[in-house]
Amino acid sequence: MTFEHILGLTISGLTVGMIYALIALGYTMVYGVLQLINFAHGEVFTVGGYIAATTLIYTGVDATTPLAAKIGYFALALIVSIVLTSFLGWMIERVAYRPLRKQSRITALLSAIGMSIVLQNLLVIIFGPEPIIMPTAVVPTGFIEVFGVRIRLLQVIIIVTSLVLMGLLAWIVKGTRMGKAMRATSQDMEAAEMMGIETNLTISFTFIVGSALASIGGFLVAMYYGSLQYDTGFLYGLKAFTAAVLGGIGNIYGAVVGSLILGLAENWGVGVTLGVLAWLFVFGLIAGLYVQILRAPGERVSHIAEEFRTPEYERLIRSQYQLAPVVAVKTLLSERTDALVHVSARHAVRLMAGNIVLGFFAVLFFMNGEMQFASKWQHVISFAVLMAILMFRPSGILGDNIQEKV
Amino acid sequence: MSDVVLDVHSATKTFGGLKAVNDLSFQIHAGEIVSLIGPNGSGKTTTFNLISGVYEPDSGDVLLRGESIAGLRPDQVYARGISRTFQMLRLFSNMSVMENVLVGMHGRTQANIIDCMFHTPRMRREEEVCVEKARAILAQFPGRFPESRHDQPASSLSYANRRRLEIARALAGEPKLLLLDEPVAGMNPMESMEVMQQIRDLKEAGHTILMIEHDMKVIMGASDRVIAMDHGVKLAEGAPKDVANDPAVVEAYLGRRGADTAS
Ligand SMILES: Nc1ncnc2c1ncn2[C@@H]1O[C@H](COP(=O)(O)OP(=O)(O)OP(=O)(O)O)[C@@H](O)[C@H]1O
Ligand SMILES: [Mg+2]
Repeated sequence: MTFEHILGLTISGLTVGMIYALIALGYTMVYGVLQLINFAHGEVFTVGGYIAATTLIYTGVDATTPLAAKIGYFALALIVSIVLTSFLGWMIERVAYRPLRKQSRITALLSAIGMSIVLQNLLVIIFGPEPIIMPTAVVPTGFIEVFGVRIRLLQVIIIVTSLVLMGLLAWIVKGTRMGKAMRATSQDMEAAEMMGIETNLTISFTFIVGSALASIGGFLVAMYYGSLQYDTGFLYGLKAFTAAVLGGIGNIYGAVVGSLILGLAENWGVGVTLGVLAWLFVFGLIAGLYVQILRAPGERVSHIAEEFRTPEYERLIRSQYQLAPVVAVKTLLSERTDALVHVSARHAVRLMAGNIVLGFFAVLFFMNGEMQFASKWQHVISFAVLMAILMFRPSGILGDNIQEKV
Repeated sequence: MSDVVLDVHSATKTFGGLKAVNDLSFQIHAGEIVSLIGPNGSGKTTTFNLISGVYEPDSGDVLLRGESIAGLRPDQVYARGISRTFQMLRLFSNMSVMENVLVGMHGRTQANIIDCMFHTPRMRREEEVCVEKARAILAQFPGRFPESRHDQPASSLSYANRRRLEIARALAGEPKLLLLDEPVAGMNPMESMEVMQQIRDLKEAGHTILMIEHDMKVIMGASDRVIAMDHGVKLAEGAPKDVANDPAVVEAYLGRRGADTAS
């Protein structure tokens, strides 16, 4: 595995990750304000790509078109796509979700799934089941060379565009009046309303922004792969939703982080051999041992109440972690009822078990160091990453404040 | 009378079969502090919810300065000039202290989406004015919200300061009527007295206040008038001393307490 190879995979990973992020932001923002998974969002993304492609086909742009006109058509396609897709997003909320706002959450979820099916079928009815082909004349074909690696200009464009859009979104959410209204609404809709915020307007705005981002994502994907199909948005939507959950649903920074992790994991995962992964497990093991030997005992000891703080007691707690499983198992088998000692013993045994598993996998992977994942493993890898992270952080990487409102 | 700010006119609200508020009528005059008292579950918070637009009365009407506000959405009621605090704190805890107050001004600001997108000079000016106003409001709580705390998340404040911040946020709407739902709940006696003084200062500054309170010291010390209710019905209304000694009120409290100890 060469450096060039890794760099190439990283760029591909970032490109896909950015597109996931453009979609994931829509999922996460809507979840933030409505606690609703907008299942139709993947289709909104597809529709965005279809509208852009259709506009370009309609303009008849081809290789002989002068550059200035090409740029003009490109801008036209972008604007038409953003406007119509935003309108679609706005309408979905009005038609499928708002009337059900007072109903149970499962009702809105069913409505979302229904909306997704309706949109897919509409695409088939209008455009047919065959993929729509993006006119290649407007797709930038250049390459740039970085450290001896040829990178498609389009990849750079996708990454830069996405970064700019995310910066814009961060500014809207953080710096503007509407952004404040969005944050207030997502924390406590009822209270926000009583503080003078028009929550319906805010929700519409959220759908419009999310759909605009998705439409740009759809356009970029259509350019990247050259075509789109009526069901492209299903898998992209699912991946983006996964990324949003991974990052902590409801948190916009989480959506971006989750998407990038997912995109990178998919691409690295394919090229990476087990020998490389083994090193990850080694690092995991080092971290695990650090926690078991230094951090966890220190934290536990600090829980001992002032009046019980004897050196023997502290030593007992520490030795459970450091000499686990011997002392810890002895404690668990003994009749001692002291809660802190018992909880610590159980904790120590669990940490020890985790470290043994990590070590086992490290050895296993080193022994099969040459094995590689095939590209059909891509989806499996991304969901494996999700499972692994959610096991340690059920609320997602940045998602500790979802349940905050009470 | 011409200085009637709020007129609740035989309002009724039922939940299932339960009449949480039953044919309730009262008026609040400009510059008054009125306390709404009653045993737990007597319908006080529901009355607030009727006034602030969370519920629409099943029958009856709520008038603000002579105009009906029954059936308006909460944000519309807020824009007409009624802001409130909550029995259970409902601050935007992920936002900074300053932002919480700014959200309270939301309905008052004029900047529209276009202004926001392009950050027009008009909006920037307005933003500066808002921040200045918010500073002034926070400064009404001396020593509680120094500049250094303005950018900290609301969740980092002490409990008592969070209750104060809720009042500050409500003041940001420049209300004609301020509704305070148990403003000193959970505070120690010293903090309660401080907040009571603050409520009196608000009255001095020209505010009209309707508050729900259980703390007798605060009720006696701050209110001009007391309205007692039980089972959604008004039991008594008048000067604090008279209401506190009203046989029906005493009976309601004692009766309820008797029932509580029995169960
Ligand atoms: N949304 C609702 N749905 C059903 N019942 C409700 C609802 N809100 C209030 N109630 C009921 O209405 C009655 C009055 O409640 P309310 O909260 O107004 O009492 P309160 O006077 O504020 O009491 P407390 O002093 O405990 O705050 C209670 O019996 C309560 O259970
Ligand atoms: Mg109450």
